[in-house]
Amino acid sequence: MVSLNVNGRIVDLDVNPRMPLLWALRDFVGLTGTKFGCGRALCGACTVHIDGQAARACSIMVGDAVGKTITTIEAVSGPVADAVRAAWQKLDVVQCGYCQSGQIMSAITLLTGNRKPNDEDIDLGMEGNICRCGTYQRIRAAIHEAASTLG
Amino acid sequence: MTGWISLCRSIAKAGLSAGAVLLATWLTLHAQQGTIDRSGAPAALAAWDHIAGVLQHPRCLNCHQENVPLQGDMRRVHIPLVVRGPDNHGVGAMRCGNCHNGSGNNETSGTPGAGGPGLWQLAPSSMLWQGLSSGDLCRMLKDTARNGGRDGAKLIEHMESEPLVLWGWNPGGDRTPVPMPHDEFVNEVKTWVAGGMTCPS
Repeated sequence: MVSLNVNGRIVDLDVNPRMPLLWALRDFVGLTGTKFGCGRALCGACTVHIDGQAARACSIMVGDAVGKTITTIEAVSGPVADAVRAAWQKLDVVQCGYCQSGQIMSAITLLTGNRKPNDEDIDLGMEGNICRCGTYQRIRAAIHEAASTLG
Repeated sequence: MTGWISLCRSIAKAGLSAGAVLLATWLTLHAQQGTIDRSGAPAALAAWDHIAGVLQHPRCLNCHQENVPLQGDMRRVHIPLVVRGPDNHGVGAMRCGNCHNGSGNNETSGTPGAGGPGLWQLAPSSMLWQGLSSGDLCRMLKDTARNGGRDGAKLIEHMESEPLVLWGWNPGGDRTPVPMPHDEFVNEVKTWVAGGMTCPS
């Protein structure tokens, strides 16, 4: 039995501690807002927060997440999350949307650590989140927009 | 081989007993030449050659890079791109621990990890090994101003038990482990330290 702190509640799961966290979140906790993309930590679609840090849920083992605070797109909150969400809506960032859960989680981590990122900071900080629709320009603009909102 | 031929000719010329004496002398000399002196500077230098071979293996060298780690035996740039950052652990949403587990290699995703949370990182900027000659690598490794203040005993301990070092022998996936057995490597380090950490010129 593995006990996880997910979105502010404790969930007890009868899973192998070496199971990818993404499997546990989607198939056992029922939180499907976090997407499966590549399963190899190469695309960023599965990004969640572990203790506030963006983490690839496909590559972090359940056992390594025990005792930590896991936050998914369904429950991420706070001033930075609000600013990012508003900027995403204002600039209509999303196209197909599949990668956007991961993009938003990474953007929140980036802005939490750096309230005034320049283009290079954004490119390096968001490098691991791939968008097949190519919305990178709007993602970058939305992060600048959220940064200006946060002041 | 040439020595053998001339020796056999000598035996034929000088007769069996004289030849036997000659053979015994030759074998004794040959054996002495082949014996490795396991003490002092010569031993340290011989050991260093083996140590350098390990340190220059992709499992070690790929993360002893200036700003971006390399991946695989082909040693290409890390995909996705990651950079050192102020604490050697990456920047923004691209921190090493975001993918690399604290409890070992992830067999499902293929992402490597070493025992202990938050250990995965680029080697410090004072320990950039890429492109160094064997002598320069040796001098860098033993320089306490650059190696994290490690004297010989601490270097042995580091090579013996540091999880990121040990990972080189258990890299998971299809990565080639460091070819020399770990205990042999540690013995070479001990010989090198005992011999005064001598470096090639």
